[in-house]
Amino acid sequence: MKINGNKEKALAVLKRRDSKLQSHLNSCVRCGLCAESCIFYLSTGEERYIPARKVDIVSSVYRRYNTLAGKLMPGLVKARELDEFTLTEMVDLLFGSCTMCGRCTAHCSIGVDISYLVSVGRSMLAEMAMVPSSLQSTVDAAIKTGNNMGIPVDELLDTLEWLEDDLRDEVDDTEAAIPVNKSNVNILYTLNPREPKFFPLSISAMAKIFYAAGESWTLSTRMYDVTNYAYYSGNLDEAREIARRLRDEMFELNARICVLAECGHGSRSFRWEGPNYLGSSYAFETITSVELISRYLKEGRIKLDSSLNTERITLHDPCNLVRSGGIFEEQRFILERAVSDFVEMNPYGYDNYCCGGGGGQLAMSEYGERRLKAGELKVKQIKNTGALTVVSPCHNCVDQLMQLNQVYRMNVKIKTLAEIVADALVLE
Amino acid sequence: MHWYRILSLAALVICLGSCLFHLIRLLRYGAPKDYSHKLGNTGTAIRYSFTGAMKPSKKESAYLHLPTYTAGLLYHAGTFLAIILFFLQLTGVALSPVWEYICSAVLLSGALSGTGILFKRMTSGKMRSLSCADDYFSNILVSSFQYITIFLLIGNIPVEAYYIVVTVLLLYVPLGKLRHVVYFFAARYQLGYFYGWRNSWPPSGNY
Repeated sequence: MKINGNKEKALAVLKRRDSKLQSHLNSCVRCGLCAESCIFYLSTGEERYIPARKVDIVSSVYRRYNTLAGKLMPGLVKARELDEFTLTEMVDLLFGSCTMCGRCTAHCSIGVDISYLVSVGRSMLAEMAMVPSSLQSTVDAAIKTGNNMGIPVDELLDTLEWLEDDLRDEVDDTEAAIPVNKSNVNILYTLNPREPKFFPLSISAMAKIFYAAGESWTLSTRMYDVTNYAYYSGNLDEAREIARRLRDEMFELNARICVLAECGHGSRSFRWEGPNYLGSSYAFETITSVELISRYLKEGRIKLDSSLNTERITLHDPCNLVRSGGIFEEQRFILERAVSDFVEMNPYGYDNYCCGGGGGQLAMSEYGERRLKAGELKVKQIKNTGALTVVSPCHNCVDQLMQLNQVYRMNVKIKTLAEIVADALVLE
Repeated sequence: MHWYRILSLAALVICLGSCLFHLIRLLRYGAPKDYSHKLGNTGTAIRYSFTGAMKPSKKESAYLHLPTYTAGLLYHAGTFLAIILFFLQLTGVALSPVWEYICSAVLLSGALSGTGILFKRMTSGKMRSLSCADDYFSNILVSSFQYITIFLLIGNIPVEAYYIVVTVLLLYVPLGKLRHVVYFFAARYQLGYFYGWRNSWPPSGNY
């Protein structure tokens, strides 16, 4: 393997004067008790997938260059050179076998933030220009075109136009609209580019909810992409640039609330990581569409009829929304009112298993087979519920669940939360 | 003062100085910074990180591995007791025979647990794949510290041997994984802050 990147810059990532980084780099005792918390280990039984191995490959490089024992007696403390061999293993472990779901972190006997250290390792690899090409091309598309699928503005507008016609027919109101680039609105609503490209019905669903709530909202054609795959690639400059564009669009349109579409990593990267990429707090409110719908229900702005969704439904909690985003009650509050037969998976919520599609896995075709294998646990969870529909407020998860549905023949329907809500909406 | 006591005292100073260096460095790097809008309560979550989140019922690393978890607790209890007894030994405080036997019992359970953990690390393929010399050496040192403290209390060994083991242990603490004695607390604080900021801890629902 040819090393193209800057080794010094990669090592500088580990030297940051950051108490969080230093605490977690020095804490793992390699007890191995995290193994059973990882979907990759559980689905394959392969020792190399134990989360502590992922921590160790980052911290072993740290020890080699930053600790006395690592410099003097590298063999004693397993301190590793950042060489081709180490880098190859880092790519495979940190990109190819981790969704950064954080379940191992929550269960770690010490409290090591394992997914954070994986993201640190990915940043090192980004400095070494070793991000898997498929993931990097997704980031490149977002940087070059403004959305990760490279959808031209004309194509987006065409899609929105026919969706608006459908909306008018459905609600029987010629004034119903999907506003675009409208200034001085309450809400700027973002999209996952997969919606206009493959799942336009989820846009319709959200537009119908906005219509029912009488909301002042808009979409933007300049910057509507909620995703930020640079969060997964570890390239902080690119992650900052993508977050900056959405923040600037909020100012450009003078919107009051930025509502993040159903996308786990998108909401995490803009709401939680974005201000830290940019080094300043947002001067506007940022919430997920899940919180918005819950708010509408609590304020009585929309009404639902659960008898319109009678099939048994289960919920897949996106890791970035729940474990790393604190959104747990809202989706349940909504589903209690939108469906008549809701059943939880086991485990669920904060403790839920990742579907296998997070961490940029869906964008990395190199590891597709491994990703589908890692999803086996989710398949078992879903089958055990007896549900006919799986709802997940994350397009990334929806994609993975659809693939799992096909590969493992689950024969279930996969829907977003907005679609379930739109089906139960009572229009007055 | 005997040479071996001076030696162990010097090692203690080096150990404490190094641990203090790590601690001060962390403090100088400052508290966690987050520019996002806070959703939860960091204070509550940090408390939870050190209390509720440590309960065996909350962690797979505990409830799926109860024998190892229990052994780990006993091992740490034995270690802290041995440290206390070292300070008593240094200051010349003598225990009554009853207390010597009680402490020896606790130390024995800790030392045997440590040996059990070492045995698991050596025999399990999964654990061997994770381990390095530091893991074995750290365990042997800490277990030896507990065994030799028992021998000092109720056995008959040259006191020099005790102090030599303590000296080696103290000098090794800052070098290898044993320095988690400092970083464990920092990591749990950081984790509590992180989850608390985002309203993930204490978790909702039935966990």
